[in-house]
Amino acid sequence: MATTKLGFVVQRPPYRSENPKLALTHAIASQSVEVYLEDGDIVTCDIAFVGDGVLNCLKDQKAADHYGLTSTETQVKMALLLDINVLICKEDLDRFGLSEDDIVIDAEEFGADIEAKVVPYAEIAAMMEESKHLLFF
Amino acid sequence: MADLKSQTPTQTLDVLGRVCPFPLVLTKKTIEKAEAGTLLKVLCDAPASAEDTIPKYCEKNNYPYELIKIEDKGYWEIYIKKS
Repeated sequence: MATTKLGFVVQRPPYRSENPKLALTHAIASQSVEVYLEDGDIVTCDIAFVGDGVLNCLKDQKAADHYGLTSTETQVKMALLLDINVLICKEDLDRFGLSEDDIVIDAEEFGADIEAKVVPYAEIAAMMEESKHLLFF
Repeated sequence: MADLKSQTPTQTLDVLGRVCPFPLVLTKKTIEKAEAGTLLKVLCDAPASAEDTIPKYCEKNNYPYELIKIEDKGYWEIYIKKS
């Protein structure tokens, strides 16, 4: 039985590129691959938002109004619904003058059981060390 | 396949309108939380999930299942027994 740990690191802001959405889509999709693996083998994944990437977690995004697209806010909530470990860098939130009140922490309205975690960068660095594969977006 | 359709489901999971991989992962999550013996009825309109990943998941875990396509409504009913 083997566990493959994936780490997704999102550094870009929402809207100016598709990168953050791709990170979230790939992280979410990774949770379905175990049906194709050997018995007992699983894939776990963490997704971390750092630098400008923390802006993907802002509440009340208007992507649907302006672009007709699902917002990254909604995709972060979907990741929580699928029990993906969502880490948000505290230092970068502070740099933007943002607090936990400004960002997505839970997705209770969709029935998610877990919450996003605002953590010091050191914790994100530790996650990166532990991951077998790291993907930067 | 087991004759599960004729039994009363313990629980129903509606994932209509959800695209792959949500139906699979939400089904998995619901089954993991359910008690042994639970009969879960999943309503799903994502073809890849209904015809591929959810059946594969059941087979890997030895959960008896029954897949019924409701042609006129365009979705599948999937009955899964948590053994």
